[in-house]
Parts: sequence; C-alpha cells; structure tokens
Amino acid sequence: MPKKVAAVAGGLTYFSKARKDKTQEELVAEAARMALFENDINLAKDDIDGTIVSYFSDHFEDQLLFGSIIQDYLGFNPKPSVRIEGGGATGGLAVRDAYAHVASGLLDVAMVIGFEKMSEVNTAKGNEFIALASDTDWDFPIGGFYSGYYALMARRHMEEFGTTEEQMAMVAVKNRNNAQHNKFAQTNPNMNPFAMKDGGKITVDDVLKSPYVSYPLKRLDICLMSDGAAVLILASEEKAKKITDTPVWITGTGAGTDAMRAGDRPRTVGGVPMLPHEKKEWYRKLEYPGVHSFRAGRESARQAYKMANITNPLKQLDVIELHDAYTSSEIQTYEDLGLTKYGQGGKLVEEGVTAIDGDLPVNPSGGLIGAMHAVGGTGVMQAVEMLWQLQGVSGKFHGSDKTQVKNAERGLIHSHAGTGTYVTATIMER
Amino acid sequence: MTEVYSIDPLIIKTPYEITYKHSYGKTSKFFTSLSSGKLMTTRCEHCKVTFLPPRADCPNCLRETKWVEISGKGTIHTVTTLYFSGERFLKDLPFQLVYVDLEGVNTLFLTRLKTKDMKKVKVGMKIRMRISKELEWRSSDVWAEPDE
Repeated sequence: MPKKVAAVAGGLTYFSKARKDKTQEELVAEAARMALFENDINLAKDDIDGTIVSYFSDHFEDQLLFGSIIQDYLGFNPKPSVRIEGGGATGGLAVRDAYAHVASGLLDVAMVIGFEKMSEVNTAKGNEFIALASDTDWDFPIGGFYSGYYALMARRHMEEFGTTEEQMAMVAVKNRNNAQHNKFAQTNPNMNPFAMKDGGKITVDDVLKSPYVSYPLKRLDICLMSDGAAVLILASEEKAKKITDTPVWITGTGAGTDAMRAGDRPRTVGGVPMLPHEKKEWYRKLEYPGVHSFRAGRESARQAYKMANITNPLKQLDVIELHDAYTSSEIQTYEDLGLTKYGQGGKLVEEGVTAIDGDLPVNPSGGLIGAMHAVGGTGVMQAVEMLWQLQGVSGKFHGSDKTQVKNAERGLIHSHAGTGTYVTATIMER
Repeated sequence: MTEVYSIDPLIIKTPYEITYKHSYGKTSKFFTSLSSGKLMTTRCEHCKVTFLPPRADCPNCLRETKWVEISGKGTIHTVTTLYFSGERFLKDLPFQLVYVDLEGVNTLFLTRLKTKDMKKVKVGMKIRMRISKELEWRSSDVWAEPDE
C-alpha cells in the first residue's frame, strides 16, 4: 500500500515577463524561502530528504543540467534529486513524481522545485522554442506555432458544438480579473512590482477587440510567457502531522497521453472514456477525440477520480486550478474533466459556474492567462495555490481575501502539455 | 567582443547557431517521391489503416507498413488564419493552416492552405494537395489549395 502523502508548504515568486533582477537560481531561492519561512510550519531546510526539479526547456537559457545548479544553490547536496520534463505538463508530472517518491517511502519529505526563465530570447524565438515541442519533421516546418495549433482545435470545437468567441472571451475576463487580487500575478500592476504595465481588469469587449493572433484566438485569449519559480513541500503522513496542523492530502492522481500530432488521434464514434456520472447515450454519435477534445485530459481525470472516489466532479470538487493555455482549452478542459457534457463547456462559463463566486470556481489565481506561465513552474504553482486554498490562507499570501474560495475542502489541479499530449490531474483534500 | 545589453544588472548577448544533419529514415520515400509528382504514404495491411504523415511501423500492431499512392483530394476539417508565429515564419504572415481529411487516409494531415481568397475558406470545403516544384525536403513541400 502507498503511504499517505500531504502538501505542507508552498512558495511563489512574483511572476513577470522578464525578471532581469535575478538569475534563475536566485528566483528559485526566493520561492524556496517563502515555502520554508512563511508557511507556519515546523520544518527546517535540513529536514528535506531530496528534490524533484521541474523545468521544460534547456533552450531558453542555453544551460543543460540546470537541476544540478539549483540543487547546489539551495544547499541540498549530496541528497537525491531528479529532473522531470513533460512540456507544459512538466509541473504536474513533477508533483505526481514527488507524490510517488513519498508514497513509496523513498523520500519522507520532498521539495518540488518548478521554474522557467523565458525572457532571455525574444518572444518570437520563445514561441519557436515552444513549437519545437511539436513534431519537427511534420508539424513545425509548415509554420509551427502553438497558437495556430490551438486555433485549429478551437475552430473545430466551434464547428462541432457551437462554442462562440464570446464564451472564450468570458474565460479571459474571469481569469484576468481574478488575477487582479493575486499579488504574484503578472497582469496585476497594482500589487506586483514586476507586472506588465498594461495589465489590470478587462471586459469581454476588450477581449473581442484585441487583435487576432490566429483566428479565433485573439491576444487576450492567450496565456502569458513568464519568468519565475514555484516551490512545494510534500511529506509522508507521519512527518506531515509533525510539520503542520493543516496538511492537505493528495488523494488521487492520474496521467494521460495522446499523439504528438493531433491529426493522428482517432475519430472513433462513441469512443469517449466514460466517467461514473456519464451516460453512454450522450456521446453515441460523437467522433472522439478528434482535434476538438483532449483524450489525455479525460484519461487523467478518470484515473484521479477513481483513486479519490469522486463520482460527480461538479458536486464533489470545490475549486480547480487548470491549465488555461488558451481560453478555448479551458472550455475544452471543463468537458474532459466531466464538469459538464462534451460540447457544453462554453455554457458553463456563460452561466457563471466557474466564476470566483460560482458553484465551482476555476482558476481563482488567474491561471496561465492572468497569473503566469513559466512552463516548468506552472503545475507546481497550481499545487501551491491549491494548498493555500484548502488551508484557507490564500488571502494571506495573495494580499487580498477576494481569491479565497470559502470553505473549500477538495480541489483538483490539472497540468497539460503540447496539444494535449501529456496531461495530469491531481486531487487534493484538507 | 561580447555585446553588452545592460550594466545594472549586467546583461550580455550570446549568439547561437547550429547545423543538424537530420535523417528522415524510412519515411524518406515520402520526400523523394515528390520529385516524380507522387504523393506516397504508408498503410498497415493488417490493421487496414493508412497514415499520413507516413509511419514505417504501425502503432497499433507494430508490424511494418507498406507504401501506397494517395490522390491528394479531400476536404478541410478545420482552418485558422495566423497573424503571428514563430521567428522563422514571421516573413510568411498572414497565412492559413488546415487539418485536411484526405481520400484513402485515416489520419488528419496538418498543412498550409494557399488561396487568393482567404475569406471564402470554410470547414468542409474541397481541397487538393499540391507539390512544390522547388523541393526543400520539408513537410512544407506540399500544401492544400481549394478544389471547387
């Protein structure tokens, strides 16, 4: 039997388009210091048994084996460390791997260290590096650009289900405006000294009038590129109870995969992997996954729900932090996670269900659109955010109580790579 | 001489250039067939599945596939117009990407759509694949054009 595992502490940096003031290892130290010293825990740095280091690209800083620099900089030598990489899902996979390390007894207390510094190359080159995480023989040479790939999937979702650009804009407004109460968020110039100057609140009209990047996706439908770091500390049950009075347990985790080239994915009629609350007849005619849905996301949720005994996610989850790389992919992910039927994701945001004061708030931090996307740091940031939500201390860390979901007991974090190639879902409970 | 970008903090500029010698392995035939005007791809006779891009090995049964010629006719499954892209494609903007559903092929194929009238393009539109006369030995050597 695996041991019970809890999250006990977390730390974040201010996120920014460019943190020129610090090196990558200095940013990591900023987040690690917060995790160790600002979380009301009974834990010394020396009590950490090993680290799981989470970063996506060796290209952004032209540095291989960065994990070794981090391990040394934080003074963890000669303890064990491993680097996890899986595109946009790097952070989620790292949290899952740290869970496995602790659940197996390999480590009693593990630190997950997620980071990326994307600003040392220009934005177009950065987009190119990200697009190298698509098939470079076939998909990249024709004009490889992730916003283009997601636009193709969004357009198919519109064609298949009638999803609208207005519904996508509502996701952008929700996440961006949530971020205005999170001091770490890159779009929050009132609270984050390193924020973008043209951040702040937005309206649906602002999104619809922002320039097209790749139809139907506009500038404000698309996530940020960030510098920054996130640090999470996990512990075994025995240790966790000594470290904190408010451990947050990891009760389920799942990981799914799909073809690197989205065009290679099946289009099987009635091929949806079913969740416990769903009925086969809902999807009898639906070609699945095609390029409109993320089978890996569905599979990760199916596994995590099974492990955590969740049979109705909309009712049993209180808060979600999910990988909103695009407004369209947040809508697609609602469906993959079974929060609503396939095809109804747009209506879920339209009805306000996922708003901060809705039945199931999604991305109260601001997510990748409002807060940050420092790739390897992102999934770890989500876990830190979920820890603070379930401990009821989001207000203390964010500098505003408006992001705290009242009485949240159980949440889900969702990390997503490529066009849905690797996806993880993890359930956390207080 | 190192180019200095800023003094406080000190930021220096470092250029990077590299040439890869990349093998297309057993999918080379896709590219070499283009020079005789043929669109070739692979099919698993055991699973009755035709793949484009070609795969030398069937992912379903792991048997070796065989080469077949395809017509290159099909329809648009989904389409987008790009106004921004990665660095090396900025010169081409704006351009259109499509997933096409081709006759005799079970997968969708990602390619560019070249048309004089981008506004007329819609999902379901008939297209035909075209082959470049000046081959660069990249997947961009083929593209779709409207066929109606």
